[in-house]
Amino acid sequence: METPAFELIGLTKLFGTERAVDDLGLTVPKGSFFGMLGPNGAGKTTSLSMAVGLLRPDAGTAKIFGVDVWAEPTSAKALVGVLPDGLGMPERLTGREVLTYLGLLRGLPEDEVKSRTTELLEVLELDHEDDKQVIGYSTGMRKKLGLAVALLHAPRLLVLDEPFEAVDPVSAATIRTILNRFIAGGGSVVMSSHVMALVEQLCDRVAVVAEGKVVATGTVSEVRAGGSLEDAFVSLVGASTRGAEGLAWLSA
Amino acid sequence: MALGVTYATSHTLVRMRMAAFRHALKDQNRLTWIVGGGFVGLVLAAGLIWLAGIGDTDALVVALGVWMLGWVIGPMFAGGGDETLKPEYFSMHPLTPRTLSAGLLTAALAGVAPVISLLALLSLVVVGTQLSIAATLIALPAVVLQLLCFVLASRLAVAVYGVLLQVRSGAVIAALVNAFILAFTAQGWALIVAFVSTDVQGTVAKAARIAPSGWGLVSVEAAGRGDWLEALGALVGLAVVAGLMFAAWSALLVRRTTATRTGSKPRRLLSATSPGGAAGAKELRSWTRDLLYGHRAVFAISYGLFFCLMPLAIGWKSMLPWAGPAAVVMAGAMSANLYGSDGTALWATLMTPGSARPDVRARQRAFLLVFAPSTLLITLLLTWWSGDTGAWPLVLSVLPAILGGAAGLVVACSVYAAVPTTDAHKRSGNPLNSGENEGETMGITYLMLVLVSLTAGPALGAALAWSWWGVPIGVLSGLLAWWYFGLVAARRLDLRGPELLTLLRHGRSAIGEVKRANLDSLPRWRRTLAGFCLGFAAIPLFPQALVPAIFKLTGNNDTKSWFLALYLSAQWQWVVIVVMAAIGVSMYTYGGVTYFRAKPARAD
Repeated sequence: METPAFELIGLTKLFGTERAVDDLGLTVPKGSFFGMLGPNGAGKTTSLSMAVGLLRPDAGTAKIFGVDVWAEPTSAKALVGVLPDGLGMPERLTGREVLTYLGLLRGLPEDEVKSRTTELLEVLELDHEDDKQVIGYSTGMRKKLGLAVALLHAPRLLVLDEPFEAVDPVSAATIRTILNRFIAGGGSVVMSSHVMALVEQLCDRVAVVAEGKVVATGTVSEVRAGGSLEDAFVSLVGASTRGAEGLAWLSA
Repeated sequence: MALGVTYATSHTLVRMRMAAFRHALKDQNRLTWIVGGGFVGLVLAAGLIWLAGIGDTDALVVALGVWMLGWVIGPMFAGGGDETLKPEYFSMHPLTPRTLSAGLLTAALAGVAPVISLLALLSLVVVGTQLSIAATLIALPAVVLQLLCFVLASRLAVAVYGVLLQVRSGAVIAALVNAFILAFTAQGWALIVAFVSTDVQGTVAKAARIAPSGWGLVSVEAAGRGDWLEALGALVGLAVVAGLMFAAWSALLVRRTTATRTGSKPRRLLSATSPGGAAGAKELRSWTRDLLYGHRAVFAISYGLFFCLMPLAIGWKSMLPWAGPAAVVMAGAMSANLYGSDGTALWATLMTPGSARPDVRARQRAFLLVFAPSTLLITLLLTWWSGDTGAWPLVLSVLPAILGGAAGLVVACSVYAAVPTTDAHKRSGNPLNSGENEGETMGITYLMLVLVSLTAGPALGAALAWSWWGVPIGVLSGLLAWWYFGLVAARRLDLRGPELLTLLRHGRSAIGEVKRANLDSLPRWRRTLAGFCLGFAAIPLFPQALVPAIFKLTGNNDTKSWFLALYLSAQWQWVVIVVMAAIGVSMYTYGGVTYFRAKPARAD
């Protein structure tokens, strides 16, 4: 069998006595666009953080193209581009400077860094923001810059936590095009999201995570089993009837 | 109507504040700080009442002036004052600025510090009872108005600093003022000695009566004399000052909750060509673009200058050569949380293979670039000015040693003892407030003051023994400390980077279970004692041991001030100095070790 692009093996994380992620396992085949779905607090960010080497798991590990993230972090991290959710950036640099800095830090040649930076900023429409430090960026701009950082060293796997959150529709379309081209070029993508329609449209495989466990995984059509992905999701994580009753004062 | 809303808002905000206070009491670490601070405050308040009791109103009015100054500058050293209720929380509520600030003011009054100040102000009532019934009655509104003035002055000062720190020149002014005040607490004795010996006590008391902090007392005294015009005038004056401060504070609150924070337009774009160069360029931009970094640099350098210039007031020049080293020590202590202040941006370094070493070395280089040329220049100029030729080999040995030591220790401390702060892009409008860990930040600052000073030890010893041979030893020890501590920090970052990121991302609570087990195993008195030791160790160590030792070494015998040792007969003086130094060092060690022991367990 071909080595999968990304493999999460028995990942477990305890916060106090709470099992935030509980023996979570996933396999992302090469060339697939993999969606990770789950309600708020299901453990998506925690498991992705553990899988790329940002958070040490209490048990389990992850492999990127067969390279163990926790045994050989240096070689594993060279193969992946990551967009984490809600983390800081070097706030006092401009977007162009962030990309230049991180590119050089990765050991890319200077002129290569320069041309890639210019191109990425142009494509993501951040090229007119050279007079702005990252601290002045909006949430959507931060996301786009984060995506540029993830793409900069041309990895073969992208791990994106909520890449479309707070991004305007025009930029979202651009990002979709970029990601589809990336897949067509043989890359693999894992992204987490709440937005069913987006996952249905973009991804070929999905996993549904609830309470730190994978409750369903497979191709999109396998998981939705004839219905819509949203219905499948709701039935998997448990439907809520709340919201239908009470709150009478709201319409009074 | 408006009054009703104001009352209801105030009521709610006070309840919120009390709820937060109850939670704080459950946190052992914060409880220690509250109890310790409360105890010191009660002792000081008792002191004021005692002054009133013995009828020394001149001393009392000066003490009240200092008390108000404490309200104004205290927040600068405690992370921007109390920020339990941030005005940003309420920006979407349909409240007028006046209503909101009245509510916030009422909530600000519901705390430990205002209660202690209220007790201290009872000294006015004590003065009144000694004069007449009318004076006692006047004292009651005077106490209330005076307290209001204290709290408002404190809030207004925080707001003004908030505005100042958003522009470069403001940050510089704030740093200068802070440095002067902190240097004054350590070296103010020289200025006080100068004042006392030239008989200006009366002038100081007169000035303290003119300042609003003295108006309450002025009013009570005037009532005692039967001078009703002055008594009422002083009260009205207090009310007007309070009103003006309130109006200014409300206006600044509006600005704070509506202004945006974008960095200034960058002037020079990054043009490095190698990993190390890029990391260095990034770090240097933090120092030049982030006003908090700039504030820190100006603060450290001007602290060193003030610290060594103040003794000039009594004509004592021997401290001048040490301004450079003093600035480096302060710079090291202020920069001991580099990773903490960059927050979760660490992820980018973590995800870049092999970037730990260039990153650590770049931070060291940037530190040296900011502080080495400036302190070298200061050292050369001031040593020359002091005319003390014997000081040359000493300072030139100590300076390289301490620069290297500080550049090494700042990164080691930043990696091993990082204190989580709020991420820059999520901070509130109060630039002084960077999270809820002021206590820890303060403890580490004290510890670093001692550790950085210790790195000068070998060079100083060598210079005292072999004069100029100390210089190569100083350079060597500086290089060694820079290299070794940097290596240690980079290795730790490689091995434990994810743990550091988790700490910065989720704070202590995420890894809280381990920590609680560890800190809880210590009895409460030990934690309180450790906090007390860190807070007060400076008194035996600096004014009671080091300063008299330097006095004796330099043959200065005219000033005794409050240096215990110098009041004793000659054969006991060195004994007392050594004992005091030992007490100071042991207090620092005990406090530091207690905190340090509780630490590694939660990181591993």
